Amino acid sequence: MGRRTVDKKESSIKKSFYSGSEELVAVDLPGAYSMSPFTSEESIASGYVKHENPDVMINIVDATNLSRSLFFTTQLMELGIPMVVALNKSDVNEKRQTKIDAVKLSEKLGCPVIETVSITASDKGLAKLVESAVAQKGKVQTAPYVQDSIDLNDKAQVKEADRKRFEYVNRLVKEVETRKVLTKDRNINDKIDVVLTNKWIGIPIFAAVMFLVFHISQATLGPWIADYLVGWIEVFQGVVAEAVADASPFLQSLLVDGMIGGVGAVIGFLPLVMVMYFLIAILEDVGYMARVSVVLDPIFKRVGLSGKSVIPFVITTGCAIPGIMASRTIKNERERRATAMLAPFMPCGAKLPVIALFAGVFFGDAAWVGTLMYFVGIVLIFFGALLVNKIAGHKTRKSFFIVELPDYKAPSVKRAFLSMCSRGWAYIVKAGTVILVCNTVIQIMQTFDWRLQVVEEGMEHTSILASIASPFAVLLIPLGFGAWQLAAAAVTGFIAKENVVGTLAVVYGITNFINTEELVLMGGANEVAAMLGLSSAAALAYLMFNLFTPPCFAAIGAMNSEIKSKKWLFGGIGLQLGTGYTVAFLVYQTGTLITEGTLGTGFIPGLIAVAVMAAFVICLIKKADRDAAKEYA
Amino acid sequence: MDLKKVHTGEEYIIKEILTNDEELDAFLFSLGCYSGEPITVVSHLRGGCVVSIKDGRYSIDNALAKAIIVQ
Repeated sequence: MGRRTVDKKESSIKKSFYSGSEELVAVDLPGAYSMSPFTSEESIASGYVKHENPDVMINIVDATNLSRSLFFTTQLMELGIPMVVALNKSDVNEKRQTKIDAVKLSEKLGCPVIETVSITASDKGLAKLVESAVAQKGKVQTAPYVQDSIDLNDKAQVKEADRKRFEYVNRLVKEVETRKVLTKDRNINDKIDVVLTNKWIGIPIFAAVMFLVFHISQATLGPWIADYLVGWIEVFQGVVAEAVADASPFLQSLLVDGMIGGVGAVIGFLPLVMVMYFLIAILEDVGYMARVSVVLDPIFKRVGLSGKSVIPFVITTGCAIPGIMASRTIKNERERRATAMLAPFMPCGAKLPVIALFAGVFFGDAAWVGTLMYFVGIVLIFFGALLVNKIAGHKTRKSFFIVELPDYKAPSVKRAFLSMCSRGWAYIVKAGTVILVCNTVIQIMQTFDWRLQVVEEGMEHTSILASIASPFAVLLIPLGFGAWQLAAAAVTGFIAKENVVGTLAVVYGITNFINTEELVLMGGANEVAAMLGLSSAAALAYLMFNLFTPPCFAAIGAMNSEIKSKKWLFGGIGLQLGTGYTVAFLVYQTGTLITEGTLGTGFIPGLIAVAVMAAFVICLIKKADRDAAKEYA
Repeated sequence: MDLKKVHTGEEYIIKEILTNDEELDAFLFSLGCYSGEPITVVSHLRGGCVVSIKDGRYSIDNALAKAIIVQ
């Protein structure tokens, strides 16, 4: 139970580890240090143990910190469920010349104690562990230490009893453990820490490491693998298109463009994600990530985020899906949710073609447009974090930071590979299903009108998509872009943000100026600007609206799986919608005021909309303050 | 005195932990960080310090370091 998972996972045990005929099911519970349900992980663990009556418990104990682990072990043993203790990280102990007398410990605890090394697959300890676990089934566990009967509601008494338990554990550890190297002595880890967590060079080192991760996964190795796989998908797409050439256009569109095309989009991104996961897993394994959170925590804490939040934000610059998923490593639930809902403000790779198009058409390819978008993204993250903190943060207003610093060690390539695969699979399943359904739906809406006839070229305004987008266009008038085409492009952007470019090209009939395959502008900037009919202020507003509204459906799917609360998910989407709208409104109106000396169209209705949102947020903050006041009264 | 003022590498005994946050108190307890137990500051870092409690190493921030009173 020592593994740092955050949810319980069930799986059957491989036959290679056990020769008996019974089917064995292992339930992995989140790591916990005590029986008290203070954190969500600990509540899951103690809830399962108390209610599900497992046959046997395998208690995985950190052999390098025996006294801390045994405190929980002795608590668990009082439940009477047969237990086997796995002394994990035995290899680290060997290196440190720490010896634990497993036989004596087994005698003292009254249960089998097996030494294991979880990071090597050829570990004989594991088979032995499973075997002795099966042998324990049906036996009655006696606890080596039984707490005096006390009133569990009296905190002072509980504390006193816990102290006595710790005293017992300390005595026990003294008897079974001999240490040559003391943890409190300065060692090589501390020398490395002095450099990596240094006040001045800690952040530049982190930036360099992240640049490397980013470069390998998004610019070199990742794309190479992706291009190779996409080639195969396109071949497949061609074969299927030929096979259904005689079928109805509805079926063709659905199957070839919607479904296979959608899956292709996922496969095209997957290698980038996988390589990123691999490198991050290596960094975690080495022990560097714990140090990064130490370096950045002072900065992020000010807005109610964790030092660990920076990893999701950085990864999101590649793709928001792995970025949001990376927030999983944040233990504090509120910080994790805030990080998952704020990460999409970082412009991801799919948003780059949109930025490039608008910079090219309206701003003469100025470099400041792209830079400004990243800068605004960072500002919005901090601003959003402050808001979330105001609305939902009162319980942890006085937050302390404590993180365990594991010893540096050589990374295990195999473990990084496995971690990459398991996370990659989660990405395929969760993101893939969402992409598939939404792609298909929007593809159909774009291709057909309400009579289910294929929309002719030049008649795009009759499509289902156009008729749905038109009412939304009215809402966008105060932002400077109230045309259904622009609304429709923004809607298709929810499938994948790069779609904005392609849809604009199609609905305005300017495919001769925009290459819809490569999604790049091919000259004629002035003509395109005239066709879109936007002022530069409105164009900038439209660009920002697309970047800072909710991300694509796949990323929303990832938000859902990391946030694990419908209330928080919809709160997050609401925050993103409100932010996108407000930012676009402010940019358009002030931009128009500066360039033309007057306010833009629809200022008053827009102002009312923004004011209503602001009032709503203020109400939430007031309510949070009242709740907090009540709690501390 | 609090942990910010102690010498690195020397073992001190925790006198008390100044917090009303029961969750934090219980968490620290489960790590073996409670009054009467030894604690060593290994080094002072940006905005906090590295401490050794039992057989674990932890990085804590200044707010927490100031809340742990030792003698």
